Amino acid sequence: MRMDKDTFREILDSILRNRSRSLLTGFGVFWGVFMLMLLIGGGQGLKQLLQNNFEGFAQNTCIVFAGNTSKPFKGFKKGRRWSLTYDDVDRLRNIVPELETITPSVSLWGRSVTRDEYTYGKAVVKGIRADYRNIEAPKLMYGRFLNDADDLQERKVCVIGKGVYASLFPEGGDPCGKPLRIDGSYYTVVGVDWKEGGGIQINGNASDQVIIPIRQACRAYNLGNVIHMLCFTAKEGVTMSDITPRVREVISRAHYIDPTDEQAMFLLNTQLMFGLVDNLFRGVNFLVWLIGLGTLLAGAIGVSNIMMVSVRERTTEIGIRRAIGATPRMILGQIISESIVLTLAAGLLGIVVSVGILAMVELAMTQDGILKAAFQVPFGAAVAAALLLTVLGVLAGLAPSLRAMGIKPVDAMRDE
Amino acid sequence: MLISLKDINKTYNNGQPLHVLKGIDLSIDKGEFVSIMGASGSGKSTLLNILGILDNYDSGEYHLDGVLIKDLSEKQAAEYRNRMIGFIFQSFNLIGFKTAAENVELPLYYQGVPRKKRQALAMEYLEKMGLGPWATHFPNEMSGGQKQRVAIARALITRPSIILADEPTGALDSKTSVEVMQLLKQLNKEEGITIIVVTHEGGVANETDKIIHIRDGVIGQIEENRQHTAWSGPQVK
Repeated sequence: MRMDKDTFREILDSILRNRSRSLLTGFGVFWGVFMLMLLIGGGQGLKQLLQNNFEGFAQNTCIVFAGNTSKPFKGFKKGRRWSLTYDDVDRLRNIVPELETITPSVSLWGRSVTRDEYTYGKAVVKGIRADYRNIEAPKLMYGRFLNDADDLQERKVCVIGKGVYASLFPEGGDPCGKPLRIDGSYYTVVGVDWKEGGGIQINGNASDQVIIPIRQACRAYNLGNVIHMLCFTAKEGVTMSDITPRVREVISRAHYIDPTDEQAMFLLNTQLMFGLVDNLFRGVNFLVWLIGLGTLLAGAIGVSNIMMVSVRERTTEIGIRRAIGATPRMILGQIISESIVLTLAAGLLGIVVSVGILAMVELAMTQDGILKAAFQVPFGAAVAAALLLTVLGVLAGLAPSLRAMGIKPVDAMRDE
Repeated sequence: MLISLKDINKTYNNGQPLHVLKGIDLSIDKGEFVSIMGASGSGKSTLLNILGILDNYDSGEYHLDGVLIKDLSEKQAAEYRNRMIGFIFQSFNLIGFKTAAENVELPLYYQGVPRKKRQALAMEYLEKMGLGPWATHFPNEMSGGQKQRVAIARALITRPSIILADEPTGALDSKTSVEVMQLLKQLNKEEGITIIVVTHEGGVANETDKIIHIRDGVIGQIEENRQHTAWSGPQVK
């Protein structure tokens, strides 16, 4: 069968001049595609919303901090307090080569930060090294993050969180270079970290933080060699769970702790957590596709069904066409083409409408011109859906057109 | 000889075998205006279906315009129907969602004639039928007589060898019946088109030049009717 402009016009005429029939037929597919696209976009958006909580947080991180021992070991009683020390960094570096970044940090809670007449009372002062950015990436609004020189020279500089900035600089503008007083010492602001306090909070909400170099923090707060927390990431391709037992062993041995004492040392492996979320969304995705494809398939079967009825209804028309010279092949081609055009048109409409709705959702999710989560269907998925529709159109048209092909021209006359 | 049937037999096997046509011999010349008459069940519809290549026959030979019509594939049958035969049905059989002009041009669409040419030809034939102003109307906006004239235009547009009319006036009132029969007559006289009318109405048959009576599957009497006097009942006039 030729597929030229003429044939296409003939098909279009059949579809457009039998509006209610076509609308009924197309609606199933429209709804199927609409739901599929909406579910895909919605699922993806929800996933991103959830992932926003972990934003900027390295996904293969492990965090270690000290607790009280719960088992006696080497003559020490249980319930002993201990602390991580700066030496643990080098110890891990030397003994566990699979680790990428190993960075210590100290944190001091409920500190008050003052600038002129403004005071922020619940700040968390956090002493870190520059490589802490590998664990929790800053989202700088102004200035810079701390660097190695800040730490080595024990500079009195700080990077402040969004909340601290809002309270101390209500007039807005770039605060860099301005002095702040933290517990009696003056620090110069070098940057503002705009990161929101998300689901993962290490030592308090990111917006309450005042970040200073760790050496300076240890000196200012008389911490000596003690550190509060050790964060490390694994090298590319290394599974964190494989090396955490060795980390535990190395640190336990150095501090005379029973290596089996889980409560003496907290090891927080974020990879496990991210894995959990990943699995959750894999499940959600599976459901989305199952339901979406199911609806789409139901729609296609609906098309097939209504086409079937319509073929019966059109027996006379098809009989006339046959009587005046249409070959069975031409009839077959016409019915299948009608099915394809209908499913494709309805499906594309479904894609367009769902994309429109998702765009509106995105509009609603946009704050300060920053999109919180992309709800939009990826272009590839839309193209794939369109291709799938064509195939479904052929399949849906197959049975009705085979029936139509069986209609004899005499049926046209008999069917009166 | 435009049409020649030799010993055509046809049996329907729907449960009980039904021997409908029992050896039909018939020849019709080019330019004849013939009617086939018979009561219902006489086999006249079956004969028409065979003449129109809408149905197969079991034995015998059917030559149409020198071509043996036998055991054709669906595709070939469709092509012969399209090029050699024009159909006029009792119930008009126009496609409801197509305009008069589109209905008329449909046979040409299946011949692959370009759209422009089709449209021009369809208009020409509609005007010939006096339906020029109705070209863009849909069948349900037209009267029975108009619909039948659209159907006649559709039958004529491919310049077929024969026109087969199956009870062409069956769904029309008597006044329109006369008009349609006059039209057919005029087409036969002026353009020399061979027309075969199947009917059970004597009045209609009387308008044709030759009446072939079929009874119980065999050809009965063949009446020459040049003077149109074969029927003494109510005339279609």
